[in-house]
Amino acid sequence: MNRLIILSPLLILLIICLFALIYLLSNKDPSKPPSALINKNVPNFESNSLYEINNIIKTQDLKNKKVLINFFASWCVPCKVEHPLFFEISKNYPDLFIIGFNHKDKSDDAKKYLSEDGNPYNFVGVDSDGMIALEFGVFGLPETFLINEKGKIIYKFMGPLTKEIIKNEVVPLL
Amino acid sequence: MSSLIGFVSLAMAVLINIYLIVSNFFIKYNNKVFNLIVRSSSFLTILSFFSLMYAYIISDFSNFNVFQNSHSEKPLIYKISGTWGNHEGSMLLWLSILSIYGFFFSQTKKINLQFKKQTLLIQSSLHILFGLFIVFTSNPFLVNSVIVKEGLGLNPILQDPGLAIHPPVLYAGYVGYSIVFSLAIAGLFTNNDNEDWIFITKRWALISWTFLTGGIALGSYWAYYELGWGGWWFWDPVENISLMPWIAGLALVHSLLMAKGEQIMKKWIIFLSILCFSLSVFGTFLVRSGILTSVHSFASDASRGIFILLIFFIVTGFGFLVFLLKSPESSKPINFLSINKVSALVINNILMIIATLTILLGTIYPIIVEVLTNDRISVGGPYFNSTVIPIMIPGFLLMSIAPILSWQTNRIKNARLYVLGFIVISLLVLIQSYLSTFNTWGVLGLILGIWIITASFISIISSYKIDYNFRLLQKINPHIAHIGVGIAIIGITCSSVFKNEYDFNLNEGDKILIEDANIKLEKIEISNEVNYQALRANFLIEKDKKIVGNIKAGKNYYPVSKMITTEAGIFHEWHRDIYFIVGEQKNNNWFIKVYINPFVSFIWIGVLIMVFSGFVGVTKK
Repeated sequence: MNRLIILSPLLILLIICLFALIYLLSNKDPSKPPSALINKNVPNFESNSLYEINNIIKTQDLKNKKVLINFFASWCVPCKVEHPLFFEISKNYPDLFIIGFNHKDKSDDAKKYLSEDGNPYNFVGVDSDGMIALEFGVFGLPETFLINEKGKIIYKFMGPLTKEIIKNEVVPLL
Repeated sequence: MSSLIGFVSLAMAVLINIYLIVSNFFIKYNNKVFNLIVRSSSFLTILSFFSLMYAYIISDFSNFNVFQNSHSEKPLIYKISGTWGNHEGSMLLWLSILSIYGFFFSQTKKINLQFKKQTLLIQSSLHILFGLFIVFTSNPFLVNSVIVKEGLGLNPILQDPGLAIHPPVLYAGYVGYSIVFSLAIAGLFTNNDNEDWIFITKRWALISWTFLTGGIALGSYWAYYELGWGGWWFWDPVENISLMPWIAGLALVHSLLMAKGEQIMKKWIIFLSILCFSLSVFGTFLVRSGILTSVHSFASDASRGIFILLIFFIVTGFGFLVFLLKSPESSKPINFLSINKVSALVINNILMIIATLTILLGTIYPIIVEVLTNDRISVGGPYFNSTVIPIMIPGFLLMSIAPILSWQTNRIKNARLYVLGFIVISLLVLIQSYLSTFNTWGVLGLILGIWIITASFISIISSYKIDYNFRLLQKINPHIAHIGVGIAIIGITCSSVFKNEYDFNLNEGDKILIEDANIKLEKIEISNEVNYQALRANFLIEKDKKIVGNIKAGKNYYPVSKMITTEAGIFHEWHRDIYFIVGEQKNNNWFIKVYINPFVSFIWIGVLIMVFSGFVGVTKK
């Protein structure tokens, strides 16, 4: 009995460590809660093109298309890291419509950024006041959404995409 | 350059400790050489920390850590505090404090030398574990691969004088328990039979506990005026993590008071010593692995989490294993049936451990649930309020009379006076609350707080000859600490039970009346400060047609990190705080939130008294 009492801290320790280890290994990240938007309709938005003010894109324009939406900015360093990967996606999936929302940026800076690093987007929308990002519940840049033909958000990723994530999580949905 | 010095000295410090432990098996060091080795490792660790701080001060952006967390426009004090405002730097601070404790402990005289060596060896092992953790997973001296002229800034919410000193003080508490831990393990190894270790442990336990108290209070005070939620305690996971070693430390300090030759107590003290440090390391693990969401979360990294989990497992597992294998056999059972100091302290200890376990359960429960069911839940205030507080109440009741109980006999001096005092206080509080707003918790808290203070005063006056010198202060010190607790309880009760919240939409020049204070929103100003833009609403507070206060509340906008922080404006009165928050502007009106927080200042005063008495306790022989 006495022995058991002295043994109990070790048992508790083992249990705690076991759970913590499983938790860590399962790649759960508490700072990235599951988005409430998954399986919901795309929020309403309207945005003009970075290159042409009169060229406007609206929620309705996304109907019957598979769409990838990426929020980026020229001042965002991790965006630069994931940037080249969109060329690959766009090459492998020519039917996918890729929108880049230029978030809280100066238009000149954005144009310069896209001319230097290349423009993988089919449409570059302006979100200078961040209202579209707010509608999408964007937490921080970069953030990427995948929208199916029915206009529902089926995937969301916070932070820079990597080759592995695209291969394991994005590609199966395309 | 400073980064290189920093890294080399850190690596050297770890290597020296590894050398010390390995060579100790073959070489019998004499005391002087041994101390020299330990101190040189301490010196190198601290040197490493200061070279990081230097890199921050001169904004050396060739250091990746500085680049990520600092900015050249930041005021000097926040450049300095930026050193520990990030994961890597804060771990280095952790290690430096460990070294400082080791250094000071190596100065201890009047101690069995074998025992002291053993303690320092365990301290060195801890240094190695955490040192390797820093070198391999959290190196703050990495070189920035690109050449940049500007840094990425520090989280503006951390740019606050209170928060600049909060982590070092808190760590001084957490890490101080390492000495207590090492002493306990060394005691088990060397089968130390003399009683010296109790006095030595008591000193270090008290120092750690006092720092921890101060650290928690600073964090709490920061949350009170910086987060702008009107409260000072949120049962945030990180707050819970600091509360656990605090309560366990409290139990330890109290057990040490009565450990005069009682075998079972010796066992219990060793258990608590191991527990306190384990909880500290566990806290470090939870925060640094990013496993819990809270205001303290930094970017998480699984390998980092696993490494520090391993450290936690090794340290705690080793500690309790040694305890299991080598714990002293108990000889003298304690007679719990008598009403004396020992049984009061034992009951209090049990309550504190139950409270600690309750908090532990609530803190790790979300992790367990998520692993098992994949659901994300959070355990918040309601759970802790309804479990921890009722557990603590009998403890508080006991605490008010414990200092007057005798060590052995059942007799209580002046028992009638205390009973009478308790009845009078209860009646007065009941009548008072019946006439104003009645609230069960309010009544209970007030009776407890006032009773603890009164009982402590009665025992000071009736038991000691009052002459004004330091010796007296040392003698009545436990009572003083308890008066501090009583005052804090009154503050905690009133500020949580009787607080009021008012919402207004105001324009410049508008006046409002809250309780007896006339408040006028005089002006809204926007100004540019060194590294932020400040919006300030100026409130004039008028009482009896006299202006008694001028309070500025508002928000700061930090362009570098694009963040907005709330700057609450607080008008302090001795019996309440008027707490202003400025919200959004709509249709020319500003949304203003005003909290009336009664007796908040009592919390800080109570804590200050506890900290003061903690330091007085350290001086006691």
